[in-house]
Amino acid sequence: MICIATFFSHFGAMRCKKQCDETGITAKMMPVPRILSSSCGTCVRIETEDPESLPRTEEMEQLAIEQSNGYQIIWKAENS
Amino acid sequence: MIPGVCIVTKSNEKLTIIIAGLIIGVISTVLVLLGNPKNMGFCIACFIRDTAGALKLHGAKGVMYLRPEIIGIILGSFLLSFGKKEFSPRGGSSPMTRLVLGFFAMVGCLMFLGCPFRMILRIAGGDLNAILGLVGFAAGIGCGILYLKRGYSLKRTYRLPVSEGSALPVIAVALLIILIAIPSLLNFSELIEDAKGPGLMHAAIWVSLLAGLIVGGLAQHTRLCMVGGIRDAILFKEFKLLLGFVAILISALIMNLILSAATSGTYFTLAFEGQPVAHMDGLWNALGMLLVGFACVLLGGCPLRQLVLAGEGNTDSALTVVGLLLGAAFAHNFGLASSADGPTGNGKIAVIIGIVVVIIIGEFNIARNKQATK
Repeated sequence: MICIATFFSHFGAMRCKKQCDETGITAKMMPVPRILSSSCGTCVRIETEDPESLPRTEEMEQLAIEQSNGYQIIWKAENS
Repeated sequence: MIPGVCIVTKSNEKLTIIIAGLIIGVISTVLVLLGNPKNMGFCIACFIRDTAGALKLHGAKGVMYLRPEIIGIILGSFLLSFGKKEFSPRGGSSPMTRLVLGFFAMVGCLMFLGCPFRMILRIAGGDLNAILGLVGFAAGIGCGILYLKRGYSLKRTYRLPVSEGSALPVIAVALLIILIAIPSLLNFSELIEDAKGPGLMHAAIWVSLLAGLIVGGLAQHTRLCMVGGIRDAILFKEFKLLLGFVAILISALIMNLILSAATSGTYFTLAFEGQPVAHMDGLWNALGMLLVGFACVLLGGCPLRQLVLAGEGNTDSALTVVGLLLGAAFAHNFGLASSADGPTGNGKIAVIIGIVVVIIIGEFNIARNKQATK
């Protein structure tokens, strides 16, 4: 399945992408979909069968699973 | 962990942003028809500069008017984000760095004589000098992207109390009350003898305010950003935001041609010479906008976007707006701003200093991140 991870900063997205690359997870950086945030930052689109196993870094703001008609937000950071 | 906290439905972002861009282009040209300066239906930099003059922060006689469009954009974004439950007071992301970047973005804008929004409107009016501005703007965005790729990032934001996030919208309401009820507190170009300049030209207050509210709402809904459009196209091959940019250009161009044909005024002149509120120094038009593009990528958005984010409760963007205001006041008090006669010596020095400062900010924030990851 496809997950979208959003971050508090561009650097957080870069670091997540790097971690995914190092662990063999297919991931790419892209602009945050409007429906997930009114901010115009960078998110990471991750292909994984187990979204629960993805590391929640302190830079991560939310994690959502892409569905045919939208996104299911499965995690949000505190203070976000 | 909040499993299945909510499901959000996808929308047609591309179509929405194109429609928003077309509407904004029409509004911008109608404002000129109703009194705003030519090719300046909207200009965030010019309007903040005029506001700085109205608030007696500088003494340039020709650019003093408290522009209701600025108030409208902030309140339009605030009201829509509040209604959509997207109003989110937050801040703490390198506020002083943002203020400095905002300051120098304004210095660049006033070298070129316009923000990225007005750059599009100038091109739509046939001003070929603005094409050189666009070249510089894209180059500046390219410089900023190099830093993003090297790991540049300002610090994360944190949730703040509502009182913090609503400060700028409240200030906007206060300014509107002063403009309507006690204008004697303000400076106006039209009340100063011998004053000449864009501060004398404006649509009626309520027209300008309504236009600002609509543009602020549309920009909040679509995340329209002149910098983000080119940045996303280069960085991600994602053209959604750029479509908004193009839609404004097309609709403003068509409206200018229609108005030229249907009225006695001239709204489109394809030339370098004789353009309203513009100069013909190509190098400095380009370098001014290079500074704007570079600084705005490091800020995360153009001046319009900063107003919109400030309306959504982002105090970092509110401080960036303060930086823009300070930059405008400084530029006119110290002779940095260009005029139709061309750039000033002080302005050229300030743009060079600005580019150096932005490079230093970029380098400093890459180094810090490297340390943070150790």
